[in-house]
Amino acid sequence: MQTKRTFKYVAALSVGALALTACGGGDDNGGDTADGEMVINAHGIEPQNPLVPTNTNEVGGGHIVDAIFAGLVSYNTDGSTEMEVAESIESEDNVTWTVTLNDGWTFSDDSPVTANSFVDAWNYGADPDNAQLSAYFFNAIEGANEEGNIEDGSDTLSGLEVIDDLTFEVTLKEPAADFPDRLGYSAYFPLPEVAFEDMEAFGEQPISNGPYVLDEWNHDVDAKLSTNPDYEGNRTPENDGLTFTFYTDPDAGYTDVQSGVLDIMDQVPPSAIETFQDDENIEAHTEDGSVNATVTIPSSLDHFGEDEEGQLRRAAVSKAIDRESITSTIFDGTRTPSTDFSSPLMPDYSEDIPGADVLEFDAEEAQDLWAQAEEIAPFEGTLELSYNSDGAGNKEWVEAVTNQIRENLEIEVEPNPFATFAEFRELITNREIDTAFRTGWQPDYPSVYNYIAPVFGSGAGANDGDYSNEDFDAALVSAASADDEETRTEALTEAQAILMEDLPAIPLWNQDALAIAAQGVEGVQLNWQNQPEYHLVTK
Amino acid sequence: MWRYIVRRLLQTIPVILGATLLIYALVFLQPGDPIVALFGEKPVSDAVRAELEAQYNLDQPFLIQWLLFLKGALVGDFGVSYSGQPVSELIGRTLPVTFQLAFMAMIIEAILGVIAGFYAGMRRGKIFDSTMLVVSLIVIAIPIFVLGFGLQLIFGVQLQWVPPTVGSNTSFTNLILPAVVLGLVSFAYVLRLTRTSVIENLTADHVRTARAHGVSDGLVNRRHVLRNSLIPVVTFLGADLGTLMAGAVVTEGIFNINGIGNLAYQAILRGENPTVVSVVTVMVLIYVVASLLVDLLYAALDPRIRYA
Repeated sequence: MQTKRTFKYVAALSVGALALTACGGGDDNGGDTADGEMVINAHGIEPQNPLVPTNTNEVGGGHIVDAIFAGLVSYNTDGSTEMEVAESIESEDNVTWTVTLNDGWTFSDDSPVTANSFVDAWNYGADPDNAQLSAYFFNAIEGANEEGNIEDGSDTLSGLEVIDDLTFEVTLKEPAADFPDRLGYSAYFPLPEVAFEDMEAFGEQPISNGPYVLDEWNHDVDAKLSTNPDYEGNRTPENDGLTFTFYTDPDAGYTDVQSGVLDIMDQVPPSAIETFQDDENIEAHTEDGSVNATVTIPSSLDHFGEDEEGQLRRAAVSKAIDRESITSTIFDGTRTPSTDFSSPLMPDYSEDIPGADVLEFDAEEAQDLWAQAEEIAPFEGTLELSYNSDGAGNKEWVEAVTNQIRENLEIEVEPNPFATFAEFRELITNREIDTAFRTGWQPDYPSVYNYIAPVFGSGAGANDGDYSNEDFDAALVSAASADDEETRTEALTEAQAILMEDLPAIPLWNQDALAIAAQGVEGVQLNWQNQPEYHLVTK
Repeated sequence: MWRYIVRRLLQTIPVILGATLLIYALVFLQPGDPIVALFGEKPVSDAVRAELEAQYNLDQPFLIQWLLFLKGALVGDFGVSYSGQPVSELIGRTLPVTFQLAFMAMIIEAILGVIAGFYAGMRRGKIFDSTMLVVSLIVIAIPIFVLGFGLQLIFGVQLQWVPPTVGSNTSFTNLILPAVVLGLVSFAYVLRLTRTSVIENLTADHVRTARAHGVSDGLVNRRHVLRNSLIPVVTFLGADLGTLMAGAVVTEGIFNINGIGNLAYQAILRGENPTVVSVVTVMVLIYVVASLLVDLLYAALDPRIRYA
């Protein structure tokens, strides 16, 4: 039994000549599929949906889908974009884009990757009959509604047109200079023809064109991936395969990394947050992260409207929060105080946004700003901050934030917990919440634009606080239609400056990207999505 | 005897109806919209919402949802999970693992508990008895996850006698440590129950009579003391099988075992009604069958009990 030997090997490596009295069965978490092959064992989570790219919106399935598919473009570790399946993606007006594919790409069933592979996959993803969870990503294309579904009962998006086998044209609703940068996200991956015959079967055993192919998906146990010999893209694997072993309790995963059974894990369980950096059994990796945490104050909230009084109060609340002390005491330094509405990892991040000092703690000035607002109209009642208590750590930081606001502004502030995320989001979506509430954003592609346009644009899909500002929308439009990088970054900085004044949401901090690896594991690099670059990991 | 069994099995029907209705009501009353949760922070269009609600019968009132579930369950169709897998397949995959774990735990606790309890009872007040009482008290007092993490650290990570987690390989040796953890608390109860029972029986009339007849000590202890002492233990063990299977959630999490407890836990978190209710139905069935087996075992242990 191969697996048995593997386990013994792993065990012997870590404890030398210790007698292995009771390890009879062994554990095929150990990993190597054949002698001399370097298969990396990674922590995974059972995918919640079939492995169809447009239907994968959570991290468990995301790991696998990202590893087995290749899109038009791919992202480098630093967040820059590189052409992958596409040879070029060009436009003269930022509205109509011509995509030309490289010749020679194939799926693992040897069928060619053509323009139809993309167009058909996108139409499938946007068709409301298929109820795909990532349909939202098609909302910029002509013929899709705000939620990204095809309008008017048609089967296809009117903005997609196949020119020939290797060329297709995409027409957008509005100019978007960063459109090519978006296309590395999993929702835009291609599908082979065979997928459309039986999508259910395909979701169980996808045929793909990426760095790896899925050999086996043992539900609730693991997914075994081996390298794709035909892959010639940007993410050439340094190892011979990946096995994602599924865990339901991150503590179990942590234990397995400590004992060397698991090579790499993309998260740290809350129980180990304080200790993992000093744990000698593992290698800890921390980097700046891209997921941010914010407090959204809806503009409909009394005394917090989009006027001078609202601006003063929002600025006062923001300046009353000592982000530094919360990130260091409650999060043990695994969060970094925000300096803008995005993350320093973004390629178009800017350090000097006018008005960004509103994010710095200053109790005196906060009181002063609040007093000015009081002169306009006196504030009565309680400022409440809602959150979902099923998210780990939410309770602690929300209480800390409300305590600080209460002490520094001398007003009534209370946390307002909801038992589940589902309940919390339902109230927000239906606009039935009349308090401030916690929000956060994980970027879909590496750009500041993605942090602000879908969240603060007038009527945008994730604009939970119903913020609306013409100047801001105009700045977004000029960013989206900018011809060069510089004008674009300028427009984005201008847009963020407007947000700093209005503070539709108050940026708090960015979650650091954390990963742990077993001793002897090399090549651990965390990308802009806070995930290890699995294809670079070796041991 | 057969009539008794049939009658008992018929009694399970209202139990299952009641239990599923109760669970359905609870899951239904749980606040929050599972479809919004499915999409995270992205918006959902009305067309897609309607499509998904129809797919999972979420657009029906809860009594209809429940009846639709029963209708499906009668022909073995428990519905589909949100990941598109038939729930019957999920249960088929996880139930044997949990059953194996619970069965191993039960064997461990029964054998060790009865032996230790018997000797403790026979040597009442001696050093072995006192030690066992203290040990069982400690085991009962420590929460199961502390025991689990503690033993995992010692035997899995430091000594490396067993793999720290189970994962895909649910072999006998891999499951020993989790089974010990799972069975430890019940072991303490079995031990105490046996001990008390043995002490009682030692002074019982029939034991005295047997000794007066000159029956050898070993025979008296085995046939008259031990056998009679087992009746409360068997009752406990029968009920315990259900507890072990349902209570495996914590142990399964610590040792990453893909059992039915983990399945139920995940499904509750995601608000997946079909999976939750199906798992509960299966659990109820197991509980009912186990208690039936216990009642039948009584007859074997105590000749005075007969089922007509």
